[in-house]
Amino acid sequence: MIKNLKRISAVLGCMTVIAITPAKAQDIKLGALFPFSGGLALLGDESYRGVKIAVDERNAAGGINGKKIVLIKADAVDANQAVGEARRLTSVEGVTAIFGSFASGVSSAATQVTELAGVPYFELGAVADTITGRGLKYVFRSNSTAKNFADRSIESIIKVVAPTLKVDPKTLKLAIIYEDGPYGTLVGGFQKEEAKRLGLTVVESQAYSGKSVDLSSLVLRVKSAGADIVLQTSYQNDTLLFFRQSATAGYKPRAFIGAGGGYSLNDIAQTLGAAIEGVYDVDFPQITMNAAGAPGLKEFVAAYQKQFGIQPRSGHSLVNYVGAKAFLDILAKANSTDKDKIRQTVLAYRQPVGSNAAAWGFHFGENGQNQLASTNLMQWQHGKLVTVYPESVASAKPIVGN
Amino acid sequence: MLPNFNNPRVYVSLLSLLILLALPLAVQSPFVYHLAIQVCVFAGLAAAWNIVGGFAGQLSLGHAVFYGIGSYTAGLLVAKFGISPWIGMFVGAALSMVAATIIAYPTLRLRGPFFSLATIAFLEVARLLVIYMGSWTGGSAGLNVPLQIGLPWMIFREKSAYLFVAFGFLVVTLWVSWLVRHSRFGFYLIAVREREDAARAVGVNAVRVKIAAAVISAALTSFIGSFHAMYLTFVEPSAAFSLEMSIQIAMFALIGGLGTVAGPVIGTVMVLPVAELARGWLSAFGNGTHGFVYGMLLVVTVLFIPRGLVGHLGKSAQRLIDRLPSRRTDVKTNTTLAQKTSPARHQGKPVLKAEGLYKRFGGLQATNDVSITLHAGEILGVIGPNGAGKTTVFNQLSGFIRPDQGTVSVLTEDGQWITPTSPETFARAGVGRTFQVVQPFAGLSVMENIMLGAFMHTSDKAQAKAIAIEVAEITDLTTLLDTEARGLTVGGMKRLEVARALATRPRVLLLDEVLAGLNPSDVVRAIEMIRRIRDAGVSVLMIEHLMQATMALSDRIIVIHLGRVLKEGQPADVVNDPEVIQAYLGKGYVHAQAA
Amino acid sequence: MRSLGATVSIFIQLLLNGLLLGGAYAIVSIGLTLIFGVVRVVNFAHGEFLMIGMYAVWLLAQHFGLHPYVSALLVALLLFVLGASMQRFIIQPLLSADPHIQVFATIGVSTALLNLALMVFGADVRKADVVFGTESLMVGPLTLVSGQLITFVVALVVAAGMHLFLQRTYTGRAFRALAQNRMAAALMGVNVNSTYVLAFGIGAGLVGLASGLLAVQYPVFPTVGQYFVLTAFVIVVLGGMGSLPGAVIGSLFIGLIDSLAGFYIGPDLKEVVYFLIFLAILIVRPTGLFGLGRGSE
Repeated sequence: MIKNLKRISAVLGCMTVIAITPAKAQDIKLGALFPFSGGLALLGDESYRGVKIAVDERNAAGGINGKKIVLIKADAVDANQAVGEARRLTSVEGVTAIFGSFASGVSSAATQVTELAGVPYFELGAVADTITGRGLKYVFRSNSTAKNFADRSIESIIKVVAPTLKVDPKTLKLAIIYEDGPYGTLVGGFQKEEAKRLGLTVVESQAYSGKSVDLSSLVLRVKSAGADIVLQTSYQNDTLLFFRQSATAGYKPRAFIGAGGGYSLNDIAQTLGAAIEGVYDVDFPQITMNAAGAPGLKEFVAAYQKQFGIQPRSGHSLVNYVGAKAFLDILAKANSTDKDKIRQTVLAYRQPVGSNAAAWGFHFGENGQNQLASTNLMQWQHGKLVTVYPESVASAKPIVGN
Repeated sequence: MLPNFNNPRVYVSLLSLLILLALPLAVQSPFVYHLAIQVCVFAGLAAAWNIVGGFAGQLSLGHAVFYGIGSYTAGLLVAKFGISPWIGMFVGAALSMVAATIIAYPTLRLRGPFFSLATIAFLEVARLLVIYMGSWTGGSAGLNVPLQIGLPWMIFREKSAYLFVAFGFLVVTLWVSWLVRHSRFGFYLIAVREREDAARAVGVNAVRVKIAAAVISAALTSFIGSFHAMYLTFVEPSAAFSLEMSIQIAMFALIGGLGTVAGPVIGTVMVLPVAELARGWLSAFGNGTHGFVYGMLLVVTVLFIPRGLVGHLGKSAQRLIDRLPSRRTDVKTNTTLAQKTSPARHQGKPVLKAEGLYKRFGGLQATNDVSITLHAGEILGVIGPNGAGKTTVFNQLSGFIRPDQGTVSVLTEDGQWITPTSPETFARAGVGRTFQVVQPFAGLSVMENIMLGAFMHTSDKAQAKAIAIEVAEITDLTTLLDTEARGLTVGGMKRLEVARALATRPRVLLLDEVLAGLNPSDVVRAIEMIRRIRDAGVSVLMIEHLMQATMALSDRIIVIHLGRVLKEGQPADVVNDPEVIQAYLGKGYVHAQAA
Repeated sequence: MRSLGATVSIFIQLLLNGLLLGGAYAIVSIGLTLIFGVVRVVNFAHGEFLMIGMYAVWLLAQHFGLHPYVSALLVALLLFVLGASMQRFIIQPLLSADPHIQVFATIGVSTALLNLALMVFGADVRKADVVFGTESLMVGPLTLVSGQLITFVVALVVAAGMHLFLQRTYTGRAFRALAQNRMAAALMGVNVNSTYVLAFGIGAGLVGLASGLLAVQYPVFPTVGQYFVLTAFVIVVLGGMGSLPGAVIGSLFIGLIDSLAGFYIGPDLKEVVYFLIFLAILIVRPTGLFGLGRGSE
């Protein structure tokens, strides 16, 4: 009896909560699925801020064909939660489409749900190539993928790093190291492939556990392999660890090239102090681009500053903003909530490179991936992360590090 | 094999369980479906965990390793070889069972946290290896299960189909859990968990039983892992081999009530839906609020309701439920009881021989060349001053201590002499014993305690019950059969010790100070009981300090002093022997005559 | 291919790195083995104690400019109080319950503390900005960081000190008595409850000391404790639960494995190596190298 009562009351409680969600008929509901808690919370939240600015901007300009856009936040840290929240958004909230997700794991899982439910998914920041590589029809991605990161970093060696060091790229010895999570493994793997394809010499390629307390043996491996260039894909702690332990071991490569993560963060740069000078970093477009090549950049930064009181914390808000803006544009053009109409509109949507605040273009392939998204090469100069390549958005010239 | 559906406890539980199905079908919201499926999955995991964590009392903190093995095996088989997950899950279960044996075999012999730590270590190793072998497991990026719709692939468009499958897994898990709990195996698990030594003394191979529980639990966990992989259609190492999940399922079982069948389900139903719904709301307060509340919940539960909801509220719930109508069919008791021990065919002949026993503990020679022979039908009293080494000898006669030198041989029913080496083999050879510090299985009833002994010769509950009733008569416990053992008086507990040993149908019964702490009338009853036991054909060896009782009962007396046999012979002779008096009372009393 | 000279000097550098890392592990493991040996509780919150200590050190460095080596003592005191309270208010009421109930309690505390840190400080890594202790030293062809050496030396000194404490003082003997036989110790007049509180407090205090030393080399973030604690458990089992020399030797051993396996096998597999060693120890010699109690107690 008591067991029954308790069960019933618990479930009734659930149902009540579900029932209390107001909705006006003339609104358009869009889901925003990001990791707002857990280890990825910082960048998940940063990504969401970009979406919010895009939505606010659109609403101020009249919404989508006169309808106000209502953003419904959903938090997911892992696949399990992603599935649950995706179901909630698509069934309980009845959203027209979902924006997400920064975290590839969340995106991979949620899109399996939305695909079966027939709800379009607009990925704005997750990089795993498999998200648009599974043949799903209603998953679209505006941002660059892990392969873009990898290819750009190798290209940078040939086009920027080697010339700045005044050496032939083919004489350089590369070490590719990465944390063993999905992010590191993907980028590191593609870097190896691309380096091989372009005939560069890789002397060491090694995954390491992201939870390491000590990377001194990795440093020794890289050092004794004689690597000139270190390409590292890492988060905050391991970036710090590797730099410090390299310094202790007296190992000074001619260049470090990061791939986002810890390499893009101001906090890390501050902690490392002089050691960060000259370090390269491939990442999503940052706000320190040359605004001439990225129309709308200044306005975006101003809007962000106004709403949140500080400068954007990373490039994620920018790319989410640009992607969301484009997709909102597409929704307006489609003038329908029908998934096939939306897909049609996405595939037909064209914008030239350099036409928005991230200096991207838009051209979606059959798999839903934007082929004109890119990553840029940045470099830390005097404590600031400036863009050095491609020239159209470069705000500084590359320098030789310490 | 199946519960009695006429019993109100059973049908109320089943009806409650059906709500998990009925509610989502009624509401028809994919979110409620998702929640119900989550509840089924996690309740199933918690129930499976409970078999080793609750029933057997072995805290597995890395249980997700079996979930992960199940997920990856099924996922890989379908992704790489197109093999149906219905088959894949059996492969996964087999692998999990092997893994469980590997972890359990070395660690469950030991007491302490070794099993727990080993499960965590295994979990980490599995996770790291799966990441390392990324080329065929998909590594950290995870494995996408191909979206093939249909029953053979366990992937459906309709959420209700998932729910039915998940519910099915839950029901199977609960059924296995119920079977374990109500079988002899379940009795053994509880006995081992509560008092491993006492369990071994009634013939339970404690290690084997614990390993069996771990293996069963692993297989069930693995099945659910396989299903879940198909539900999420995405498997990745950190989620599949997650320490948090391992702790979470243990927590659900704890909150509901460890060691009960319903506990894990109740715990999951209470916590999971609320946690899912609260997540979004709590996140508004900042990162980590959700986890913080979980942690506090765990601490609070442990401090205030350690026996879980079922443990604390179960009795009152059961009382209410029992008021409901039932059609109790009369259970036919098996009237052909097990044979009484055949009256000693070998009257007077030796049944237990200890020859030349030596045992040293560090600097102390506790047993110094002790030889004892027990004859059929005799009551042999063992006396001696405190610290003489009587209990040490006892422990060597029952397998709890191995002598450094010397042998102990037991005459089996078919006239063979064997030399057992462990408590359970001694028990099976026909040597029963009691413990000086009584060790009843506190949470079980008197009847169930005695049945534990009876289970050594039968796995049928009805038979065991019959034996227990019979033994209870001999030991004067008939009126107390339904009381919980923890509620007995000292006298009752001592008789229970004897009863439990008797239920194993021993030919030799070792009694360790069974009269200590009894009041005079209880002593008289006990003496009569021991006589009845001997008359029923059991040879008795008893350590005692009560001289009158020993004199009254014993056919022969052995005196042990400083680890050696000081004197052996008829009671009157031994007691009046000057050396014996000197040993007990000191030189000054040698000339005082014993009464 | 490397020359023989280079191979040898790399090997020696690896040994040095391993030993120094072992020193860091030692100072964390000593407290854990003490708590386990005396109170017989597997303290899963041990890593979170370290994390709290490191945050405290960082705060003191940020706001008062105190160098971690100085605030280490203060933080040790803070953690002593924390550990003692945990024993008094959470573990003590559960002493007579099943041992795994106690484990659940420590897990609950661990989860709560970790997430509390996440709530209060956020997920970012923070590092105390200090100079002393971060200088690189050259000893011939070998390099090391001064802070590592200091940590190593302090670890040995503390271990020696604790050893003397256990052997020579009444309280120390009470600890050892409780480790061997709780009931007998109680019968001998040891106040079990207050001794346990003291033991837990000292164990936690030692971690507080560790946090001051480690804060010079490692940044702090909410999950930092988990990086250390699993390894600490391996070390404690390896060395023998409750054995101080075991914890030290075990730490050095694991540090060496970490370093050597990281280089010769691979940084992504080194954890597998020492978890496999852990499992092997459990199978072959569960009492560890110097265990106090028997494996089957």
